Amino acid sequence: MATSVSEWRQSYAAVNHSLTLVATPGSTTYDPMNDRRAQAFWFWLFAGPAVAGFLLFSAGPMLHSLWLAFCNYDVVAPPQFIGLRNFAYLLFHDPAFWPSVQVTLVFTAVQVPLAVASALGVALLLNQPVKARGLWRAIFFLPSILPQAASVAVFVYIFQADGGLLNRLLALAGVTGPAWTTSPAWALPVIVLISLWGFGYPMVVFLGGLQNVPRELYEAAHIDGADAWGRFRHVTLPLISPVLFFNVVMGVIGALKVFDLAYAFGAAQGLIPGGPARATLFYGLNLYQQAFTYFHMGLASAMAWLLFAVIVAITWLNFRLSRRWVHYGD
Amino acid sequence: MLLRLRALLLWPAVLALAATGFWWSARSHEPPPTPGRKLLTWVHFVSPLRDHYEKQVAEFQRLHPDIEVRLILVPMSEYHMKFKTLAAAGQAPDLFYSGDVWMSYLLPFMRDLTPLVERDAAEIGLDDFFPEIRAALQHEGRYYVMPEHANVALLYYNRSLFRAAGVPEPTADWTWDDLVRAGVTLTRPATADDPGVWGCGRLEGWWGEWLTYVRQAGGAVFTPDGRRCALDSPEAIAGLRFFQDKALRHRFSAPAGYEPLNGFVNSRLAMLMVGHVSYWPNYNQIPDLDWDVQLLPIGPASRSGGELAIAGYSISRHTRHPEEAWMLLKFLTRPAAALEVMRHGTISPRRSVAAVQVGERRAGDRPRQVAAAYEQIQYAQPIPRHPYYIEIMLQIVQPEIDRMVQGELTPEQAARRATDGVNAFLATFHGTGP
Amino acid sequence: MEHLRTRRLDWTVTLVLALGALVMVLPLAWMILTSLKTFPEILRQPPALLPADAQWGNYRTVWEGFAYYRFFLNSAFVALMVIAGTVLTCCPAAYAFAFYDVRHRELIFGLLLSSLMLPAQVTVIPLFKAFAALGWVNTYLPLVLPAWFGGNIFGIFLLRQFFRTLPRSLIEAARIDGASEWKILWTLVVPMSLPAVLTVVLFTFLWSWNDLFNPLVYLHSESAYTLPVGLLHFIARAEQLTGGSAGQVPWHLVMALATVMVLPVVLLFVAAQKRFVEGVAATGVKG
Repeated sequence: MATSVSEWRQSYAAVNHSLTLVATPGSTTYDPMNDRRAQAFWFWLFAGPAVAGFLLFSAGPMLHSLWLAFCNYDVVAPPQFIGLRNFAYLLFHDPAFWPSVQVTLVFTAVQVPLAVASALGVALLLNQPVKARGLWRAIFFLPSILPQAASVAVFVYIFQADGGLLNRLLALAGVTGPAWTTSPAWALPVIVLISLWGFGYPMVVFLGGLQNVPRELYEAAHIDGADAWGRFRHVTLPLISPVLFFNVVMGVIGALKVFDLAYAFGAAQGLIPGGPARATLFYGLNLYQQAFTYFHMGLASAMAWLLFAVIVAITWLNFRLSRRWVHYGD
Repeated sequence: MLLRLRALLLWPAVLALAATGFWWSARSHEPPPTPGRKLLTWVHFVSPLRDHYEKQVAEFQRLHPDIEVRLILVPMSEYHMKFKTLAAAGQAPDLFYSGDVWMSYLLPFMRDLTPLVERDAAEIGLDDFFPEIRAALQHEGRYYVMPEHANVALLYYNRSLFRAAGVPEPTADWTWDDLVRAGVTLTRPATADDPGVWGCGRLEGWWGEWLTYVRQAGGAVFTPDGRRCALDSPEAIAGLRFFQDKALRHRFSAPAGYEPLNGFVNSRLAMLMVGHVSYWPNYNQIPDLDWDVQLLPIGPASRSGGELAIAGYSISRHTRHPEEAWMLLKFLTRPAAALEVMRHGTISPRRSVAAVQVGERRAGDRPRQVAAAYEQIQYAQPIPRHPYYIEIMLQIVQPEIDRMVQGELTPEQAARRATDGVNAFLATFHGTGP
Repeated sequence: MEHLRTRRLDWTVTLVLALGALVMVLPLAWMILTSLKTFPEILRQPPALLPADAQWGNYRTVWEGFAYYRFFLNSAFVALMVIAGTVLTCCPAAYAFAFYDVRHRELIFGLLLSSLMLPAQVTVIPLFKAFAALGWVNTYLPLVLPAWFGGNIFGIFLLRQFFRTLPRSLIEAARIDGASEWKILWTLVVPMSLPAVLTVVLFTFLWSWNDLFNPLVYLHSESAYTLPVGLLHFIARAEQLTGGSAGQVPWHLVMALATVMVLPVVLLFVAAQKRFVEGVAATGVKG
């Protein structure tokens, strides 16, 4: 906020001073926040608006859609309770359900590790004292800024079969490239590649996290004779693990919910969403079509809650596992 | 001291700014309705005809000072989402863009126009619409849509490429065999300094082309009672086989990735099956593209089978001003408006406008044989009026056809898998829907 | 020896970066090249890499055919309101979730996070119904208000992760010095996590700036449109400018507009990135 750097520096100095007092072993400290009731008071004061926002803007619609998952609802007529029929149809009869599950899982399994790894790699490079760092950072973030309608059209041009940039480059090497975007085998890998252009978001998060790694630690490790990998493994990685955790959790949630990209991919080529031959029929896209193209709001809600259950389970697992490898401040 | 003062002022200032922001945020961008005027809302997709529509609104309001029309434009890709969200919240527009393709799905929103159509038949010139188009406006004998546009499946061809290859231009009595012979001759493989030519385009991801062949071979998607899928009949399989043969056996239809539209525009495709009349203005922007249209080639069982699609307007079931909405609808589809829409470069659902368009053709106009487009209407059919037609086709059938044309499935296998999928769907949900 | 090695390393790093940068610049470069072509050049296949004759006039066509500054101001207003609300409510919430030991804290946090996990497509209609019942359709409140109630869960989560890396003893020490919680948050925790806060600001800005879905659902009047909605309308509008009909998108004009739309964002990022990536290190507290 408007607090000047010098001001908080002063307070930092003051804190630093008291820190030494606190840290003295055996010294009795008075911490007003040891009082649970005071903590609860401040907790609800600070988190209250967010919790209220959740109750106001999220909880209601979420519960409503949970109810609709057990209904036949065409948006006009009142919802009509049909028990588990939506779920039964999805799991046992719908020819598009399992293919869309498969597309989404394959995408998530491939895209998240690749995106997180390349974001981390580039962030590490950009954290080095290279010349014109600011410019490099801007360049690597650039594709993430472009409006989707325009950028997807550009990517489709790059991968176009006839005269696309990639196939021209391949032709120089004497290779005839396939019809990347319209072949059932290549369309999904191409979408993974397109999505990787947008690794700017996790990269910026990593860059922020790397700022929290004190330089002395590197120097100390350097003196101890640790090589680059050792320094990364034992200094950088533990210290940025909260940020890495964040990127993995959000990356997985985002990948499982992919919709915009898949929709724009079809639209930019004048293809029916999900084509060719369901190769890019992401779960989110399938759900959108059920909800808004075919009027099956109940079925779409059932799909949404199945996905919700999967995401909750994976995220819970992520949080569970994180206790083993994520290190927070003391 | 100064610091203290600043800290003291900071939060009030933030609050004041936020309050101003909220005041501005809460301002409605909708002008309040004029007292004493009836308000009609009209939702349409963002269209190149926007100026035409705005002119119509102005003129209509001048003629009817007691009615105010609000035109809400939504990008085509989001049209369904926006429309349904509005309808779900009880804010359905009085008048909206619709068409026969989505008619079965939009039925819960649409008002039965039959009594109004019958009452005002003379005024709207019901007989002026082509009879096939009149049939396409109906669902189980009731009118739900009034047409502004029509599209009819045609054979498009590039005259220059025909001349260069020494192939005579398509005639009205062409058969599938003629199409194959010409297509094979016109195909010229790419070489180092020649991008090559494909005899014909191929429409993937949509039923437009293959359904034409299925119907021309005597097949259909559904059994007459609509309860079973009929794609596994020998006739339907023959149609599917022709679609596959064009690509894999005779090798004259462009593979996936050669977009029919771009390919035709760039003289890389000598012919285009089905096409769309709304591309006509685009084709005419390419100065050296000498193109024309012809009736579709005749299939083994019949000439009939190409698609006919109508775009126009419907009135909401729950409108508070049905008479006023009907007046606006009549105004938008009246002959004078239809004439202006036609001048934008497509064909018209009205016979009177068609006569004007055919009569005005001059040498050098493209397409020359616009009369063929109107003649094709009598051999065209709308899509089956099945309540779940679109999702059945796109979700279940089309992926199998796509695989077939890539050579992954035989026509028999594709027909089998599509039929089984559709029948399972119908068995589970026919009548109530998923 | 050491010196030589670092120099070689420098060169390798620069080379790797340059190769990567080339790939990353591709989309914007193609956007700009396309924006300088003519309509027939757009339709040509295979397309030429460079325009035969750069059509700077496309930018004038766009400028004249499009109420850019109006949509720009609308977008900027919405983004500012959303950012202000996000910062003012997400920082305290993240602080609360990071530092207070309250029963069911993780459960409450999990509930908040869960709202990110249900696809928005199924909550649009009930939410729209509620906003419509309040008479807020065609106002900016549905776009802005959730942000003032900690609507940016992503931001809360990110800030919480950063806050938790701060030494707890620091905060305890400040408390002993008699600082109030509110003061600790804004004068100690937030400044120390400035890169994280600015990252959240940047992301919030970009989401708001590029958001198409919500403005499309809640706004009907052209005077209220934000840039992305304006862009979509322009695509259809531009077909008219080129004399075309449905079908072929006049990409040269669309790309010209997209370039103009992106430019302020790029400049803002270049200007801001130094502050938010180097802000803390420069003050010398950490290093």
